[in-house]
Amino acid sequence: MSVRDTLAGGGDRAGGGEPTEDLLVEENQSSCMSLSSLMTASSVAGSSMSTEMPRKRKGSMENQDSRSASIPDVDMEDDQNGSDGDDQHVKMKCIREPHSQIEKRRRDKMNHLIDKLSAMIPTCNPLSRKLDKLTVLRMAVQHLKSLKGSSSSFSEAHYKPSFIPNEELKHLVIKAADGFLFVVGCDRGKIVFVSESVTKILNYSRAELIGQSLFDYIHPKDMGKVKEQLSASELYPRERLIDAKTGLQVQADLPVGGARLCSGARRSFFCRMKYNKISVKVEEKEFQASSSKKKESQKYCTVHCTGYMRSWPTSQLGAEGEGEADKQDSSHFSCLVAVGRVHSHSSPQVNGEVKVKSTEFTTRYAMDGKFTFVDQRATTILGYLPQELLGTSCYEYFHQDDLPHLADRHRKVLRSKEKIETNFYKFKTKYGSFVTLQSQWFSFVNPWTKEVEYIVSTNTVIAQASRSGNKSEQSSNSKTSEEDGKKSLPIIPGISTTPGSMIYAGSIGTQIANELLDFNRMNSSPSSGNVSPFSLPLDKSPQIHNQISNNVPNGEATDVEMPGKSSSEDEPQGAAFSGGETLMAHLSSGENSQLDLDSVVGPGLSSLSNDEAAMAVIMSLLETDTNLSDAVDFEEMHWSL
Amino acid sequence: MTADKERRRAISREAAKRRRQVESDVFGDLSRLLPVQPSVQANLDKPSIIRLTISYIRMHTLFKVNTWTNAETSHAASKYGRSLGNGEEQQMCDGGWGHAEKEETNMYLSILDGFLMVLSTGGDVIYLSDNVNKYMGLTQTELMGHNIFDFAHPCDLEEIRNNLRLMAEDVWCDAKRDFVMRIKSGLTNRGRSSHLKTATWKVLHCRGRLNVCASPSSASCLLLTCRPLPLSHTLLSTHTFTSQHSMDMRFTYCDQRVTLLLGYSPEELLGRSIYDLCHVLDTNCLTQNHLNLCWKSQSVSSQYRMLVRGGGYVWVESHSAVIPSVRPSKSRRSSHQPLSILCVTYVLSGVEEPSLQLSVDQTVNR
Repeated sequence: MSVRDTLAGGGDRAGGGEPTEDLLVEENQSSCMSLSSLMTASSVAGSSMSTEMPRKRKGSMENQDSRSASIPDVDMEDDQNGSDGDDQHVKMKCIREPHSQIEKRRRDKMNHLIDKLSAMIPTCNPLSRKLDKLTVLRMAVQHLKSLKGSSSSFSEAHYKPSFIPNEELKHLVIKAADGFLFVVGCDRGKIVFVSESVTKILNYSRAELIGQSLFDYIHPKDMGKVKEQLSASELYPRERLIDAKTGLQVQADLPVGGARLCSGARRSFFCRMKYNKISVKVEEKEFQASSSKKKESQKYCTVHCTGYMRSWPTSQLGAEGEGEADKQDSSHFSCLVAVGRVHSHSSPQVNGEVKVKSTEFTTRYAMDGKFTFVDQRATTILGYLPQELLGTSCYEYFHQDDLPHLADRHRKVLRSKEKIETNFYKFKTKYGSFVTLQSQWFSFVNPWTKEVEYIVSTNTVIAQASRSGNKSEQSSNSKTSEEDGKKSLPIIPGISTTPGSMIYAGSIGTQIANELLDFNRMNSSPSSGNVSPFSLPLDKSPQIHNQISNNVPNGEATDVEMPGKSSSEDEPQGAAFSGGETLMAHLSSGENSQLDLDSVVGPGLSSLSNDEAAMAVIMSLLETDTNLSDAVDFEEMHWSL
Repeated sequence: MTADKERRRAISREAAKRRRQVESDVFGDLSRLLPVQPSVQANLDKPSIIRLTISYIRMHTLFKVNTWTNAETSHAASKYGRSLGNGEEQQMCDGGWGHAEKEETNMYLSILDGFLMVLSTGGDVIYLSDNVNKYMGLTQTELMGHNIFDFAHPCDLEEIRNNLRLMAEDVWCDAKRDFVMRIKSGLTNRGRSSHLKTATWKVLHCRGRLNVCASPSSASCLLLTCRPLPLSHTLLSTHTFTSQHSMDMRFTYCDQRVTLLLGYSPEELLGRSIYDLCHVLDTNCLTQNHLNLCWKSQSVSSQYRMLVRGGGYVWVESHSAVIPSVRPSKSRRSSHQPLSILCVTYVLSGVEEPSLQLSVDQTVNR
């Protein structure tokens, strides 16, 4: 639904041909053209949100329940709705809706508002009968008077009224920003002010911090970064602007250094700050095999600081200013006023103190089952370092009895959008023993191409005690799955625990992946009409194929030719694919085929040398006439989140 | 006969006039009690007066019920009239009592790089800070009291609804909210305009939390800071790099700084998907970011881990936008322009676990 649709919908309502109707109609017309028309058509109903500043409305918007809307309302003031000449044609269009409807909607809206208001007023509530409009309004007046208290206030020249008193607003800002406010002097980094909320976040009290140097609390490696942000004297050679229209670099006119230090110049950066840890117990298991023992070292959390530079004349500052030690050349005290927000990944509460389940680890497989990513927690569970597993096929570690079941799951997950759970299965550890795992797999699909990029597996260790209970179940499972396995999985001869013969197991994964690719190729239409959901997979499958080959650093041939595999093996599996077909259609159904997925790099953009210029480009491009929401009809895309 | 009717009609018209006058007077009284500038006050229409009154009362209730102010200033909170500033903060400002306060508040608001929004659980915009004018081209009094669902992009309504609801996970993450939504804006590149043809969608990055109040339940609200994207700030930092991607998030370009930060040369990144380069546990974060980009054309990711060449990872945050990858030309307006994604990525941390090779790419020998 674009803005233009709204205009069309709103435009239908206003306007009128008869002069006597003009008064009523013009109001609606103006309500169409002003803010209310910015709302969606459905909600414009009766809304008279015409608060255009120059239009005086008081007394002109009457809801007369006793009068029908068709009687021309001669008492209505309609001074300023006057003839906007260019709106005449809009008025004509708006007559389509009967005025009674318009009036009714307006009345309903007003009544609705009055009801809401009466619900807010304490004195209205206990009364069970519905009060009339006038009474509610009068009570509202009383209520507001009581809220305001004794201050008469609004007559003062300086006083700028606001919905929330300043004090409350400041707290609201801090609360909403979820951080702490701080003010530091630019030259020394002295903390001049910090808000109370810092205690909750960094666990230092205000008193501890005020007067200290900020640099005492910053990670050594970030000091340079913070100094850079606080200081402004050097000219930055990278500050070049790019004219988005021509792609050429343009010299900035004003002296950069000066601009940086002047009041209002914004700053935004991340830095690591110390936080005060109270409790000391470090009792968790060490999960990272390769990291050194956790020392009782200083803990840091990442703080995002955003704010701006301010400068005050030192004469005004009294004792709190920097006056004592350094009489600077300038008589101004420059400082950074900013809010610091902690990010949850490294917040004190989360970092190291949340009990990570020692029985879980996550891995990533390529489509053929080869490990492409192994979470470091795997090491304590499996004994292997991640790099020992990477590039190898997961099938090499699965117990022989579990192979058919897991292969079946593998096939399923490549064709399904949901998470697939495996049964318990055994995974060979480094030391030769087996550990029982249960995994949840889902295939990660690129949101744009709808192609499977890899499989994510969350693996949980099943406690040994329950193993005996499941053992019989497991062996019977593997038997039955072998029996009714409709997939013609090649029987792997002579699998033993020696690494040498595992090469055959590794081929299972590759075969399964190739099945999918073949299926895609078979089903994609050569005509490549834009509407076909499979046309994109046709383009993309070679890429995926390359991706798989790239993921095998040890050079094992992963291409189509595998021992024992022939195309005839794929055919009988057509039955299995029918389910897959609908899934593939489902996966690609939302594709907006109008977009040309050309990945040509724009001419001006390669020369971007800094991110500020990049941002400038983004802004200017977005503010040009290209309105992206028009170019792509997002309604057609059925993304499921 | 007709004269009689005429007279009766005249009487009833007079009575109606008087009734309307009384009503207008009450509306006038009400509007004068509202904390708005006199110039604005005079021009408010009746529904707006009611809307703003409702907002005013609601904000007052929220402050009374929620513990947003801390103990040391609670005495000020109880008086909902003028409030007194804190002594320490006073020194920072220029002289003048009310003036100083307001300036201070402006200072607080400026830091936000956006505006405040308080939403009821039903989606009513209970409060907007007055700097919303600067960002949205619409004033506080024009917007307050309406429902967000009237202004937001229809495709984002579901997401907004979800954010207004309390979820099971909120217990652990403090009911934090972080999402992107599109709102109709009156701002164009030529300045403020409420002319319909130029009304645009403004993409807002909203962060905050859901304040749940058991009783009265009407005091539950969603407190948000909203900043329009793209972020136009002077983030001059050495710890960022720019990259460009095709719509499926494969690199099509990357600037040289990535080598210093992540160890990869720009050439070896081309054609690689960003999903390969991130930690597996961050897949969801990246997916959400990608979806935001596809839907709303701009996004700010939350923090995620990017793998460093050879081992380890860094925490990063990306600000991205969808742009046409060739210069837009008028003649091609109606045809389908190729799109690409422009990303500015900020590296937030040092390299963690440098010796740990988690991904197969990191094991490739040079």
